[in-house]
Amino acid sequence: MPPKSFSTNQSEFVLSINNAQYPFKMADKTVPISVPSEKPVKVEKWKVKEGAFVSQGQILFLYNDSSGQSSELKKYKAVRAGKISCIKVKEGDIAEPGTPVADLEECRHPTVMKEMCAECGADLRTDEVSKRDVAVVPMVHSVPELKVSEELAQKLGREDADRLLKDRKLVLLVDLDQTLVHTTNDNVPPNLKDVLHFFLRGPGSPGRWCHTRLRPRTQEFLESASKHYELHVCTFGARQYAHAIADLLDPEKKYFSHRILSRDECFDPRTKSANLKALFPCGDNMVCIIDDREDVWRHASNLIHVRPYSFFQSTGDINAPPQAVDEKSKLISGKNGSQVPPVNQMPTLDAEPEQKKEVESENKDTDQGTEKADGDNGKIVKDADKPEKGAAESEDTTAESQEPRWVETSDGQIEVEDPDDYLIYLDDILLRIHKFFYELYDKMNGKQIPDLKVVIPEVKSKVLEGASLVFSGLVPTHQRLETSKAYLVARSLGAEITQDFTDKTTHLVALRSGTAKVNASRRMGEGKANKLHVVTPEWLWACAERWERVEEKLYPLQRGGQSSARRPPAHCSSPPPAPPAALRKRTPSGRFMDTINPLLSFSSDDIADMDREVEDIFNESDESSSDAEEAGAADDDLDDEENPPEDRLITLENEDSTQYRLQDLQHGDSSSESDTDGEPRPRKRPRRSPPSDEEPPDDADDDSSWNLMGAALEREFLAE
Amino acid sequence: MLQISLEHEILLHPRYFGPQLLDTVKQKLYTEVEGTCTGKYGFVIAVTTIDNIGAGLIQPGQGFVVYPIKYKAIVFRPFKGEVLDAIVTQVNKVGMFAQIGPLSCFISHHSIPADMEFCPNVNPPCYKSKQEDNVIQEEDVIRLKIVGTRVDATGIFAIGTLMDDYLGLVTQ
Repeated sequence: MPPKSFSTNQSEFVLSINNAQYPFKMADKTVPISVPSEKPVKVEKWKVKEGAFVSQGQILFLYNDSSGQSSELKKYKAVRAGKISCIKVKEGDIAEPGTPVADLEECRHPTVMKEMCAECGADLRTDEVSKRDVAVVPMVHSVPELKVSEELAQKLGREDADRLLKDRKLVLLVDLDQTLVHTTNDNVPPNLKDVLHFFLRGPGSPGRWCHTRLRPRTQEFLESASKHYELHVCTFGARQYAHAIADLLDPEKKYFSHRILSRDECFDPRTKSANLKALFPCGDNMVCIIDDREDVWRHASNLIHVRPYSFFQSTGDINAPPQAVDEKSKLISGKNGSQVPPVNQMPTLDAEPEQKKEVESENKDTDQGTEKADGDNGKIVKDADKPEKGAAESEDTTAESQEPRWVETSDGQIEVEDPDDYLIYLDDILLRIHKFFYELYDKMNGKQIPDLKVVIPEVKSKVLEGASLVFSGLVPTHQRLETSKAYLVARSLGAEITQDFTDKTTHLVALRSGTAKVNASRRMGEGKANKLHVVTPEWLWACAERWERVEEKLYPLQRGGQSSARRPPAHCSSPPPAPPAALRKRTPSGRFMDTINPLLSFSSDDIADMDREVEDIFNESDESSSDAEEAGAADDDLDDEENPPEDRLITLENEDSTQYRLQDLQHGDSSSESDTDGEPRPRKRPRRSPPSDEEPPDDADDDSSWNLMGAALEREFLAE
Repeated sequence: MLQISLEHEILLHPRYFGPQLLDTVKQKLYTEVEGTCTGKYGFVIAVTTIDNIGAGLIQPGQGFVVYPIKYKAIVFRPFKGEVLDAIVTQVNKVGMFAQIGPLSCFISHHSIPADMEFCPNVNPPCYKSKQEDNVIQEEDVIRLKIVGTRVDATGIFAIGTLMDDYLGLVTQ
C-alpha cells in the first residue's frame, strides 16, 4: 500500500503491489492492486472478470482521472501474473488512492515444467531461488521434468485413491525383465516362434537389436490383472526400451496407458522404491508390486517376489541394477571363454546326447517321483520321456528356470516348448490379495483404507495356516532354527515350526531319508489317524512360490533319496532380513583383525568340532550318489551368487558359514574325485567353481567395505 | 512461421574437393541447419533457397575449407500470446501435452477450462466437460495460446493455455 503521507502531488504511477505488508497472507500470496495514481481515479471498464487468470502485462482495466479534465482513457496493466480473486471497485466508480481496486492472487507456480510455471508461463530460472522449490514432485511417470507442488500432488493422489476405491481397484507395479518378458541382445535365430525382435536406437549409440520373449500367458495375465488393478510399468530398462516393450505387451495402451516408469526417471539407479513417494503422494498403501528382484524394492513387504523368467539361456537380466549387472551378464561367454555362437546355445536338432543324458541322470537320482509335478520347480522338471529332443542344458545362475525345448516345425519356425506357468499362480495370488483388501475395506465401512504392506504378508501367512512343520537335515546343527532361511520362509507362509515332533505336527520336511526324524516319523505315522506328510524341501519352496498349499503327494521323500534344495531358491522371499545390526560385529576377542579371517580366531575346540562334522559327513554320504551331492553343492554355491554382497561381509555369523563352506568344499572334492571315472561334465558357462576361491564381488560396495577394513586394521596396528 | 535470410559457415574436408564440391556443400548445409533451433529465430524448418556460396577459405595448418553461405529458410519461433493449432500427444492427470510441428507444449490442468475433468478410466484418457459434449483426447487438434517458452540447446518448449475465448478443441 502506498504510504499515508501522499502529500506530494506527483502524477507518477505508483505500482502498489507490496506483499511485505501482508505477511500473514504470504501463504496464499494475495496482493492488492491499488489505485495507480496519487489522485482518485474513475474506473471506466474492467477488462477481466473476477476469478480470471491474468498474465503479466495484461490490461486489467481502463481508467480516467476523476477530475474529468482529460477524456483520454488510460490502461492499467498487471505487473504480475496471478488470479483476480476479487474486484472491489465497480465500473464507473471512483477509487480513492490507497484503497485497493482488486485483489490479485499471485501465482504460486504449483505446476512446473522444465523450470517454467505451467500456470502463468513465468520462467523460474530467472526468479529467485525460493520460488522454485514449491513444485518438487514429479507425478507423471514418463515426464520427470513436470513437477507439481506437494499440495497439488496430495490432491491428485487423493483423487487417484478415491477413484481406485470407487472402481474397487488396486495399483500394481509391474516389472518387465524376467518378470513378464525376457530379452537378449545376443544373436538368436530369426525364425523363433513367439520371439519379438526390435531395434533400439539410443542417443549417442549405434543402437542394438533386442529379442524379446513374452512369458507364457502374459496377455491373459495382463487382461485378468487389469480388471482388479491399475497397472504401472516400473522397470530398470532405459526409457526407449521400456516404451518399446510396453508397446509390444499392450499395443492399444489399454493396460499401462502412459504409466511407464523407466530407468531414466528413477531417482536412484539402484532402487525403485525411491520413486514411490512421488508417484503416490498419499502413501503406497494401495500399491502392490511384482518383481523378480527383492533388493531393488528394499525388501518391501508389499512385494510379491516372482520366479524369474528366463528363456534365453545365456542372458540374465539385461537391465539389472548396476551392482548386479556385471555378475550376471558376464555369464554370456561360452565353453572356450568366447562368445557362444547361437547354434550352440540352442541345440535344435543336433543335441549332444551325452549332454542330455547327463542332465537326466542328475535328476533321476535326485527327484524320481517328481516328474509328474510339471512346472513346479525348474530343477526337477525335465521329463525323461523325450530323450531325442535335446533339452537346452542349463546351469543357469537362476537354476530354477525351466528348460525350454526347441522343436523345428515344418514351416521353418522354431517352436519352443516353454513349460513356465508361473503367471497362472501369480494371477491367483493377486486375485486373493485384491479380495482380501476389499473385504477388509468393506469391514471398515470405508472409513479407513487398509494397507497392502500389512495385507500382503497376511494373505501370505494364510497359505500354510494350521500346518506345523518339523525340519530334518534342513538346518545345520550349529545354526539356530529361528535364523535359518527355511524357518523364515515357512513362518512367512503362516506355518508353525517346531524343533521336534509334537501332537500337532503335520509335516516333516526332510532333506534326505534315513535321518533320525524321518525314521521316527515312519513309526509315528502308523499309529496316528491324521497322516503325517513326509515331504522334500521342494514342497516348501513350491508353496512359497505359488502361495498355496501344494499337494504333498507331489513331493514325497523317497527312501534313499536325497533332495538337493537345502536352501530356498532365490525368489522364495522371506520376511525382510533383520536390520544389518549384525554387520561389523567384532569377534569375541574384540580385535578387528580377527574379523577378516575368522579361522585365525577359532579356538581349538571349534576346530575339533569342525573336523568332527566333516568326518560325519563323509560317513553319511556313502549311500547317496555323488552326483546329487555335486548338484547340491553347486546349488549352494550358486545361491551364494544370488545373495547380495552384504552376505559376504565378514561378521560374527560367518564363523558358521565358514564352517559351512568348508563342508561344501569337502563335498565338492569328494564328488570331483568320483567324477573322474564318469564322462566329462559339459559346462555351458564358466562357473565360479572353486568355493574356496572366495573372491569378493567387484562392486563399489565391496570396495568400500574393504577400504573400511583396511582403515580399521591400520588403526589397530598404530595402536599397538 | 516465416521465411528469413540466414548465414551459415560450412567446414569442408579436402577429400570432397572435386566436381561435386558445391553439391556437397549444399548437402552439408541442409543436414547442418535444418531441424536445428536457435534462441533468436527458433526452429529452422527448411532451407528454401541458397542465395550465395562465398569463396572458400582454406584454413591454415588444417586444409579444411570454410564456405560462408547466405540462404533463406523457413523458421518457426513461438511467441508469448501467440495462438496456434496443436495436436494432443499425451493426456494425464496434471495436464496435457501437445505438439505444434517441432514444438512441444504443455497445458496444465489449471489452464484447461474448469468444467473439463480428467477421465483416467476411458481409453485413451481424456478431458471431458460435464455435459460430455466437449472431449479432448490424444490425437485431437486443439487451439491454444502460448504463455511461456523455454529455449534450450535441444529445442523449444512451450507452456500453453486453453483459458481464453475460442480456444480448445478444433472441430474439423
